[in-house]
Amino acid sequence: MDQTEIATKKHIDFFKRSLNILPGHYASQDPNRLTLAYFGLSGLDLLGALDQIDKNNFIQWVYSHQILPDKDNPERFIENCGFRGSSFFGRKYNPSEIPENAHAYDQSHIAMTYVALAMLLILGDDLSRIDKKSILNGLKHLQQEDGSFSTVAKSGETDMRSVYCACAISYMLNDWSSIDTDKLYRFILASQSYDGGLAQAPAQESHGGSTYCAVASLYLMGRLNDFPEKDALIKWCVFRQAGRGFCGRVNKDEDTCYGFWVGASLKLLGVYQLIDFKNFQAFVLDCESASGGFSKTADCYPDVLHTYFSLCGLSFGEVYNNLQEIHCGLGITLRAAKRLQ
Amino acid sequence: RQRQMCIRDRFSTMSSNEDFVPYSKRAEWADVKPRPQDDGPNPVCAIAYTSEFKEAHDYFRAILHSDERSLRALELTAHVLDLSPANYTAWHFRRLCLENLKSDLREELKFSEELAKDHPKNYQIWYHRRYLIQKLEDPTGELDFIKEILDEDSKNYHAWSHRQWLILTYRLWDKELEYVEKLMKEDWRNNSAWNQRYFVIAHVTKLDIETRKKEIEFAKSWIRKSPNNESPWNYIRGMVKGYCYSDFPEIKEFCLEGKEKWPSCSHALSILVSVYEEEGTLKEAITCCDTLAQKLDESHKKYWLWKKE
Repeated sequence: MDQTEIATKKHIDFFKRSLNILPGHYASQDPNRLTLAYFGLSGLDLLGALDQIDKNNFIQWVYSHQILPDKDNPERFIENCGFRGSSFFGRKYNPSEIPENAHAYDQSHIAMTYVALAMLLILGDDLSRIDKKSILNGLKHLQQEDGSFSTVAKSGETDMRSVYCACAISYMLNDWSSIDTDKLYRFILASQSYDGGLAQAPAQESHGGSTYCAVASLYLMGRLNDFPEKDALIKWCVFRQAGRGFCGRVNKDEDTCYGFWVGASLKLLGVYQLIDFKNFQAFVLDCESASGGFSKTADCYPDVLHTYFSLCGLSFGEVYNNLQEIHCGLGITLRAAKRLQ
Repeated sequence: RQRQMCIRDRFSTMSSNEDFVPYSKRAEWADVKPRPQDDGPNPVCAIAYTSEFKEAHDYFRAILHSDERSLRALELTAHVLDLSPANYTAWHFRRLCLENLKSDLREELKFSEELAKDHPKNYQIWYHRRYLIQKLEDPTGELDFIKEILDEDSKNYHAWSHRQWLILTYRLWDKELEYVEKLMKEDWRNNSAWNQRYFVIAHVTKLDIETRKKEIEFAKSWIRKSPNNESPWNYIRGMVKGYCYSDFPEIKEFCLEGKEKWPSCSHALSILVSVYEEEGTLKEAITCCDTLAQKLDESHKKYWLWKKE
């Protein structure tokens, strides 16, 4: 097998199938459908295959998830503005073209707002139908006293994932005025564990996912160089590669997705070259399915999330000439990110 | 077990239950017009919903739009959440129904227990329990419940974060160290237990130098059992943080011994690098880096060479 080329066709087909119709057992993921779409779409972009989908239809579909401000009183339920994860609330299909009345139970989720904006950038949309003002106003209602963010207004858990989403949204909309970045920065500092890694919240266990969310947030805010305990953080990240692949926590098992969470953190910290890419690559390729996709470990079935993050992880080694480069801060290709300029 | 099953039957109306009757055939739902989902002409990531899923959600949409916070609405949310426990709006609406009906929140805790056991990594269920406990202003039984979840998966991140919130909010520090030590005996590589120990010690003491020395001795005892276990070595580093290695000469001593006793253990040398770095004896530090890069910790070779620089 040619080491500098990934088998793109079967993975492209895998992503295309995942964007098409999913079997019934995916129903429990219904509220998060927008994130499934993001993995598939960004995956296709990573593989240089965006021309194989109907971009215009995709754009319309993404926009149909935007919760528009109330057409009569824009302050009404403003905390709900952003994007919903799927159409379960039951609105008439509306790709952000027709003004609507807001509803108390039509709630956005911060991660859905993030992936929606990311997807529109990937698709080359000019964001002209984005109601920037109401999204940013909605964001204001999600920040907590301790600087963290909740996922859903009045009803969601708060942790580092939402902190990242808030930063990515502000960055993509090029407007940080809705969030208190100092409080946010202090929340991140307080969430560094005694072992150098970053947790979901203060005192919790250091974890690869929350480490990425924190590092990427600092990067997007332009404060990564201010971070005081960088050496301990770097060491923690490097040592998540305990054998071949990366693990999410100390003394836990390897999982391909940490090739992104930890790998991207190392990229942002400027020290990716410190890991053993060849061994990592071997682990990920062991998790490649013959029929397309990658799984979390060699003995599981592939899924979109692990396929996407495996390919991202492989792209970091810069050895594959048919994988695009990822903007590690935003989680989209550099090519998609360029549209922000 | 029997009591739990009764509660499940009362709240759940799944079609796996032989007596299940579709909502459209129930007299008590005849006044409600089901509201379909509109995904547009060409949806992305369309899901092939079962008819049960579709119907339950059609009725759920109807009551959401009419804002009906009744008992039948409450029961419907139980069905929806059983099918789709990540539906944050169903949880939100359920809470509003509970408030409106002045429902027994202890019963509700039992209901969410079933779901939590089936979906232990679901964020919304844990948030719901936090809400209930806050409303009840009573954490009774919750530590035991979390323990049950940890019995299944001793590293469940949600369980640990919920546990920390509970302990902090209701000041339940008393027996936690004992629990942590029990977990450590079962698996001394359980990093969540080590993290929890740090959490307790940091809150219950001022992490004064005496406490730190005691904790370092504690970590050393576990290292002796298993020198390649990363957790206690990280814990030692954690105890030094904010102080200096020179405040704890026993660490350098221990690592020098370890270097001889456990010739394949990289962690002892790793700490020595930091000790020498602090001392300023860079030549020693560099020698350790070389040994690690070439022999003891080849998988992190590039890191040690970089550290050397």
